[in-house]
Amino acid sequence: MMQYPKIAIPLRSVHLWRYTPWKRIHPTKVEEMPAADIIKISAGNDSKMEDSDEIARSFIHSISKVCKSITLNDELLELDLRCSGHICAGEILLKSSGNSTIIIRISGDAGWTGIRLIGEVTGTLSVAVINDLSGDGHLLRCEDWSVGRDSTLEFATLSTGGFLNKSDIRVTLTHNGADVRGGIASNGHGSRHDDHHFEIQHSVGHTNSLLVMHAACDGSSHSVGTGILTICEGANGSDAGQVFRNLLLSEKARAEAIPELEVLADDVKAAHGAASAPIDVNQLHYLESRGLSFSEASSLIVEGFLMDAFRHVKNQEVLTTLRTRLLVHLECLING
Amino acid sequence: MSVENARDAVGDYRYGFHDPENSTIRFDKGLSEQVVIDISELKNEPQWMTDVRVKAYRRFIEMPMPTWGNCDLIDQIDFEAVTYFLRSSKGTETDWDDVPEDIKNTFERLGIPEAEQKWLGGVTAQYESEAVYHSIREDLEEQGVIFLDMDSGLKQYPELVKKYFATVVPASDNKFSALNTAVWSGGSFIYVPKGIHVAMPVQAYFRINAKNMGQFERTLIIADEGSSINYVEGCTAPTYSTDSLHSAVVELIAMEGAKIRYSTIQNWSSNVYNLVTKRGVAHANATIEWVDGNIGSKLTMKYPSVLLKGEGAHAEVISVAYAGTGQHQDTGAKVYHLAPNTTSNILSKSISKDGGRSSYRGMIQVTPKAHGCRSKIVCDAIILDGESQSDTYPTMEIGNASADLEHEASVSKVSNDQLFYLMSRGHSEEEAMGLIVNGFFEPFTRELPMEYAVELNRLLELEMEGSIG
Repeated sequence: MMQYPKIAIPLRSVHLWRYTPWKRIHPTKVEEMPAADIIKISAGNDSKMEDSDEIARSFIHSISKVCKSITLNDELLELDLRCSGHICAGEILLKSSGNSTIIIRISGDAGWTGIRLIGEVTGTLSVAVINDLSGDGHLLRCEDWSVGRDSTLEFATLSTGGFLNKSDIRVTLTHNGADVRGGIASNGHGSRHDDHHFEIQHSVGHTNSLLVMHAACDGSSHSVGTGILTICEGANGSDAGQVFRNLLLSEKARAEAIPELEVLADDVKAAHGAASAPIDVNQLHYLESRGLSFSEASSLIVEGFLMDAFRHVKNQEVLTTLRTRLLVHLECLING
Repeated sequence: MSVENARDAVGDYRYGFHDPENSTIRFDKGLSEQVVIDISELKNEPQWMTDVRVKAYRRFIEMPMPTWGNCDLIDQIDFEAVTYFLRSSKGTETDWDDVPEDIKNTFERLGIPEAEQKWLGGVTAQYESEAVYHSIREDLEEQGVIFLDMDSGLKQYPELVKKYFATVVPASDNKFSALNTAVWSGGSFIYVPKGIHVAMPVQAYFRINAKNMGQFERTLIIADEGSSINYVEGCTAPTYSTDSLHSAVVELIAMEGAKIRYSTIQNWSSNVYNLVTKRGVAHANATIEWVDGNIGSKLTMKYPSVLLKGEGAHAEVISVAYAGTGQHQDTGAKVYHLAPNTTSNILSKSISKDGGRSSYRGMIQVTPKAHGCRSKIVCDAIILDGESQSDTYPTMEIGNASADLEHEASVSKVSNDQLFYLMSRGHSEEEAMGLIVNGFFEPFTRELPMEYAVELNRLLELEMEGSIG
């Protein structure tokens, strides 16, 4: 296995690196291996993770000095990842069975944070990830999930923190009956750059996936959503869907959506959609006519729009946590 | 029409026949700067065009192969095994009787003279590197419409060609546009004066006959203010065991309030690489429509594009692709909203069968100054068996908050309910499948002139034969 920095720098013609190239997200110069502080992970046992051929994963693995193993069995875990220092990194191995829930909060004032997570799901796992980093932090987040027979991964991310964020999330449905439902809500403000890349692979038949990403972009923020939905040869009976929606709130905000489909089986349902539009003036007018100020009205519309990304998430614990955190964030934006 | 009738009418790749080569000039295989200069000298071109060609050749040598599409297949192209110029006739005739007998027979088998008499405003027939026949209706000529093959256009209207040539697709755009600019030969040159509406379609027909032939036609259409034109092109080639290369460049310029519709039925044989760059510029309130059918070829990489440069401009792209055994149809559309209140619609439909692969690759870009833009993209794909593949690679870059964009795509197989319904009405499974596929492509065929639509339906029925069981 080739290790960083021997891995070739990826070309920007690859969608994964088109809008946030490796040189931009790397904390120093690409040929360097900077020393990193550890992320304080609030639970788990010390463990080890294997290296990867993928450049971002290999880089995090190379600089990371902490790896925690977490096993969940019919339980709820609130996991805090506290990031501090100039550069910090950490790895997590997660195994879940039964009906479990994990709420991961990434916070702190680190200049650059690298997180790598590998998850194995049997049973049902609901995951909430909240990016609550300070406003000038950079985040590189790589996750690899595998979902087993008749298992379900409910996946929700609320991304409001950090200045430059890149998330590369890959899910493989490895056995019949595997199901993944994902919802990502990103709120862009100031000059925030938030890049989410998803790869969902249906390796076998009779598997389902549904991914919804909603991004509300204000100021001169930039949201990127790229997705590759692959239905492998022979994976008949698969049902897959991807939806990317962008709400553009200001003149200088930008949004990119690239939902890709690669289908190699015939008896499948695969669909994707993307839409981008400004805030509906009728909705604004309706709320303002009820006495709300412009910023309160837009904030309410943004809240509804972002929470709608989680419409397929059934776990109430996850939904409540995400809603509370989103309300606090929007309140802070209104009140400065 | 039943499949048997379709076979009677169309035959096994109906256009796969070839004539003996009777070339008057044939260049040796391979490409060099001297070949480029020789082509230019042979055509007695002005020095500026020779310079453009040589510069483009140097760009071609420097530029890398595209990193998208089917890299494995395009890397197999041997540029040294291609013949870059082959002249089959002494000149471009305006009377079918003057066209060399064997070439005339070919075009008669393709039905071109008959179509011209019945429903076309003008015809260009290109055989290998150059046009062998050209005509335009007298009334259009009297109105000032210029419809020539590109070589004649350069001779007769050098200033007009110099003003617009390579302004929409520069040589540096991609490796194949550089190649085309270096060795272009043939194609159409059209100028429609202000306010003139060309009611009947004009047609160009491109035929490759020789083995290992490269066809590099260059088409330039300029519709002046408030004018309109409907251009139709068709392409066929014989089936050989070695590959041929077709690398065209098409540039459309629609001035304020003008409308250009460019329809293509590409039915190259399965040994042709079809790597084409098509792009149009639409000024204020102008409309450019690409109607693009891809049935044949080994590999097609073609993404008709529109630059919406003036306020209120509109782009429409309707494309269908059929990918059968050994075929990869990598097609799509690109629209750049550069001005306020511009709109675009893209409809793409594809069918993959017997191990074929169809890909939609698209780009919608809205620049920061383009307020109030609207765009809708719909991609539908059907896969008929487990060996085939269908991909969708759309890109949306939105730089203006007022833009309203929608994209939707779906991939599925033919619905069992629809098949059952038709079979319960007495159709065989094969007929039912043919009907469903024709219905699937109907939004495309209804945009074509009647004769083309009928022909396309016949072709599809033939291609669909044996798709059940």
